[in-house]
Amino acid sequence: MAVCVAIIGKDNSPKYFCCLNPDEELGFQYKVLSSLDVVEEKLNTTNKGTNDLRELYLGMLYSLETHKIYGYVTNTKIKFIIVVDSTNMALRDNEIRSMFRKLHSEYADIVCNPFYIPGDAICSKSFDVNVKNIMTGTV
Amino acid sequence: MQSSPQNNSDLPPELCAKPLALVGVSGLDTLNNAVHKSIWETFSNNRRADRSPVLFKLIGNAHEFPVIKPKRTSYDWYIPKGILKRNWMNKHLYEIPAVIVIFYDLDWNDSLWNEKMIECASRVQSLRAALEGRNTRITVVLIQNTLPLPPGEDVLASDRAISLCASCELNSTSLFVLPHGDHLQGYAVRLESAFYEFAQNYYHNEIKNVRAHKEHLNKNSHQYLLVRHQYKMGFLYELKQDIHTAHKHYTHAYNNLLEIRIVDTNALEIRTVAGFINYKLCKLMFALNLPRDAISQFKAHIDRFKSRMGFQELTFEHYAWLSKQFSVFGDIFDEAVKLGLPAVQTQHPGIYYQQAAQYAILRKKSCQELCGNVIAFPHPDPLEGSNYLEFYGQRPWRPGKLSAEPPDPQLESNGIQAIQFLEKQHPHSNTIVALYGLAISQYKTYRCPRTRRHLVLQMAEEYYNSHDFGKALTLLTHMLADFRSEQWWLLLTDILEKAIRCAYLTASISDYVILSLEVIGKNSQLNLEHKKKIHDNIQRILKKQIPFGDQRLTPDVLQSAVIQWQPKLQIEPIHLTLDLGKITSCIETKARFMQNKYEADQNVTVEVYIKCTSPLPLVFTKVAVTINTPTYNSEYAVDNVNLSSGSLEFNTDEVKRFVIEFMPDSNDVNNEIQIGAITLMMGTPEDSSLDLKFNPLNILNSTCQELLHFKYCPDKLDFDNILPLTATTIIPRHSKLEIGLEYAIPALLGEWFEIKMFINNEEPHSIKDMKVEVTLGKDETISLTEFSTNSSGIPDKLPIALNLPSSLQKHEKCTGNFYLRAHKVVENIIEVKISYTLDRDKPVISIKTETIIVPVVKPFEITTKFLSSLMEEVSQFYVGEEVGVMPSIRCLSPWPIVIESTAMEFSSPFKSTENNVVSHLANTKLANKEVGVELFLGVCEKTSESNVTVGQYMVKWRRENGLGTTSQLTILGYPCEWIPLELKMIAPAHGLVRTPLLISYHLYNRSQQLLQLEIAMEASEAFMYAGYKQFNVSVLPESEKTIQYNLYPLIAGSVALPKLILTIPENTGEVPDLRQDQLKSLVDRSLPTHLYVMPQVKGSPPTPDAFKPRKLAKIK
Repeated sequence: MAVCVAIIGKDNSPKYFCCLNPDEELGFQYKVLSSLDVVEEKLNTTNKGTNDLRELYLGMLYSLETHKIYGYVTNTKIKFIIVVDSTNMALRDNEIRSMFRKLHSEYADIVCNPFYIPGDAICSKSFDVNVKNIMTGTV
Repeated sequence: MQSSPQNNSDLPPELCAKPLALVGVSGLDTLNNAVHKSIWETFSNNRRADRSPVLFKLIGNAHEFPVIKPKRTSYDWYIPKGILKRNWMNKHLYEIPAVIVIFYDLDWNDSLWNEKMIECASRVQSLRAALEGRNTRITVVLIQNTLPLPPGEDVLASDRAISLCASCELNSTSLFVLPHGDHLQGYAVRLESAFYEFAQNYYHNEIKNVRAHKEHLNKNSHQYLLVRHQYKMGFLYELKQDIHTAHKHYTHAYNNLLEIRIVDTNALEIRTVAGFINYKLCKLMFALNLPRDAISQFKAHIDRFKSRMGFQELTFEHYAWLSKQFSVFGDIFDEAVKLGLPAVQTQHPGIYYQQAAQYAILRKKSCQELCGNVIAFPHPDPLEGSNYLEFYGQRPWRPGKLSAEPPDPQLESNGIQAIQFLEKQHPHSNTIVALYGLAISQYKTYRCPRTRRHLVLQMAEEYYNSHDFGKALTLLTHMLADFRSEQWWLLLTDILEKAIRCAYLTASISDYVILSLEVIGKNSQLNLEHKKKIHDNIQRILKKQIPFGDQRLTPDVLQSAVIQWQPKLQIEPIHLTLDLGKITSCIETKARFMQNKYEADQNVTVEVYIKCTSPLPLVFTKVAVTINTPTYNSEYAVDNVNLSSGSLEFNTDEVKRFVIEFMPDSNDVNNEIQIGAITLMMGTPEDSSLDLKFNPLNILNSTCQELLHFKYCPDKLDFDNILPLTATTIIPRHSKLEIGLEYAIPALLGEWFEIKMFINNEEPHSIKDMKVEVTLGKDETISLTEFSTNSSGIPDKLPIALNLPSSLQKHEKCTGNFYLRAHKVVENIIEVKISYTLDRDKPVISIKTETIIVPVVKPFEITTKFLSSLMEEVSQFYVGEEVGVMPSIRCLSPWPIVIESTAMEFSSPFKSTENNVVSHLANTKLANKEVGVELFLGVCEKTSESNVTVGQYMVKWRRENGLGTTSQLTILGYPCEWIPLELKMIAPAHGLVRTPLLISYHLYNRSQQLLQLEIAMEASEAFMYAGYKQFNVSVLPESEKTIQYNLYPLIAGSVALPKLILTIPENTGEVPDLRQDQLKSLVDRSLPTHLYVMPQVKGSPPTPDAFKPRKLAKIK
């Protein structure tokens, strides 16, 4: 179960942010923003090598005392960030990966929506529900 | 002040020092003896990394070494009072040398050898006595002035060395010689390594001693000793520079320590010692290039001790210790990085500094919780003697107490109170800020800009907490831009809120207003209620009232803020100019020129769009734009006249459009002008006003501009999709003058070509100062073409100014013309430039140019033929022989030209042979490709080797309706020869069959000599004739001879005449200048060969007059 999910645009601005506990959003935003440093660094170094068969999943970005932060980058430089509680041992790499994949397909759906303008913040209710389901692992 | 208990978390210097083998140096008088001083300096200074790891210490004669403790044979009843003794490390680092070196001045051949030897021995003895019981190695170094001989050669030296060793009771390997000469440094290095070897042996023995105790210990009562001994061995191995083994022993020590049960009384001690050992372990692991092990050791260490709080009342001590652990680890890590360890973005010293800062914050918080009530330092001082405790990490009020004894509650509480009191004095914020500073610089190095920003914000928060609002505000405002550019609005709002509070507390009006304007904008996620409050506060400032502070602020802070605000609002009216160009405030502006180009007399139109996203209406008093031109900047405001009341009042999300028009300056023609800024004014200039400046290029959401068209926009004005156009060019005004140019190209070479011009004033005003100039577009044709303003044919200099009226009324027309004459076939590019001034309130100079291309062609072509008297073309002139000059004019002009007259002016030596010359071509019209021919007769009077200039042929011509032009052509003939003979035949124009006719040949001798010729007449079938068949003739000088023949034609037609043959007689060699071939060509060109003979008329027609016998009779 993830505690926070964020979708960051290619210009590094937040497009979607969701926390299980809305009161913690500010703190999570700072954490997610800081983790973008690692994402940027990973993108810079991997891009120089083989960029055609790039793995979208970036793995763990930060391991803080309380939380672990994972990253995933689409080919269009849209970043997905998932924050997990450090004490949560049930989630392994594979589960995180599949969460990212589901998130990616949800994102693809929202981009296909003709009423969504790429680059805007995502405010679709159904998207919100779907993401929350992914976070809580009910799908 | 009492010694600070914070030392509990600080690491003692002896722990952090790099352990080096200690070598005591005795016998050097560095103060009085220059030689000794230089030796000491050689040893002790410039200790680079390649030198042996030893530390030299000067030991005076009266030095007292620490007293050795009596050896314990059994540990059965010994109960240790603590883990690590405070003095132990210091003792081994700086006080008990591993090797003692006694320097002594003594040459082998010294005259007082024996006396000195005894003195040296006594020194050795006294030191040995002082070191009673220690295993310190004693060595002697003789300082000698003479250079040593190679070993084995100096018998005296080896003898005396043996005796010296004997008297000093020294092993011979402990005696050294130091020749004081050139290579002191080299000797020193060698000696040093010998000492280092001794030192290693010494430490090895010491370690053995410590290890020997181990068997006496039991795990139950001697847990402390187990730790202590392992630690000692580790330390001694470090002194021995065997860091591998040292690491092993430290690990044992650490593990032994962990086995001790922690209770309240020993918690501090165990934590302290664990910190020490961990420090040693991490440092050694970095030195052994095991950074991962070091990090995992540190993590395990922290995990183990994190939860060991110790006294509830002294929680801050625990946090202080944790913070220190992290910062120290950061230091070790940083040091290792400086020595070449590669760190990465996710694992670098900054992370540990950050943690250290966070624990420092926790320390501060718990201090605030726990120490708030402590107001006095207890008496008597329970912390007395805390610096002289025997063991590390013990409480001064119960040193060496074992955990079994219950502590005295009164004493305990006094001690705790004392520590709390001291903690309260600690400058927490400074510590925290310093740690953040370290972390920030590390994060910067490891390319974490965002994390760094976050840390800066935390630093600002700390400044805020320590009531340093100014610094906090500076840090916060510096961070805003980055969050804005990455559009993290929630975070931005958070920062803005804090910054506003700081600005309020420092009474910084401009910051306060700027931040407020941003925070009430649409991107801010502040709730509406707060936005409204802030909106009110802006209005209050405009009314010179102190804004209301945040209710979450404490009353004392609010109080001091109000005191700061008061003077600022009471003085002169507030006039602030605020640059909102880079921020996302509640007011959005866009400005654009309506065109890419404006003509100099057109009004430049600027559209300004203003959108207001504040939750409450905003009212402005002025809207203006600043226009930047290359020379100056000027401001144009929206006309107040055009503004209805309330049009500058903006409701939430209202977009309004304003138009500003102005006349460009004529100096800006051909320059670019730009919208430099959009300025809005709030308040009135009399009272207090805020000038808000916006940058017209400020577009944040520029990522997908074209997609914005899909946005649903119910407003009439689609603000998002207005693209700013902030630069425009002022171009010269477009002239409305009508120019017509009438001309018929191509121009003909040499003619005055007329170009007619019509000017029609279609301008809305009358014009004046009109000037019309004509120039050539290409310079290279200037010398080939002439211009004239009139038809007189006198060329004027370029540029020519046309003589036209200088002013024209509206719709008035005028005409003019000018002429040009080309002397070469070229294309002339002609520019007509009309400059004038519009006659109106603001005169504008206008220019109109027109360019025409005039090609030039030749009007005609003249070729000339030369004919003999027989109308046959000749290629040679002969003096005195008549030549027909026949020029033909071939018209090349596309339209007909009229030849007005032609004339041939023969030039000497040619002259005309006609009495009355008439131009045959005069008044002939030649169309394209038609040819006109005429003939002039002339004769050459002189011989010439080269071609004779016949004369000038002049053609006066014009186009139909055009101006007359005279073209002249020089006609060149052929070379001219002279021959003495002239031959002419006179015959009737025609004959009649069977009617006799008379022909006569005239021979004229032009020379001064007799000319003898042989004449023969060939027979002809067509004629019968009478006359000489063959005879010799002599022609006298300058006289003529005539030979006549009577011909009787037999057949009709063009009949060949009998041929006359002239030859030079062979026997007369006296005929000058005449050759046979010349004679032949003379005959050919002078004598006709044929004669027309008419058939006989039936009956007897009348004989034409010409053939009347009367005429015949005339022939001589």
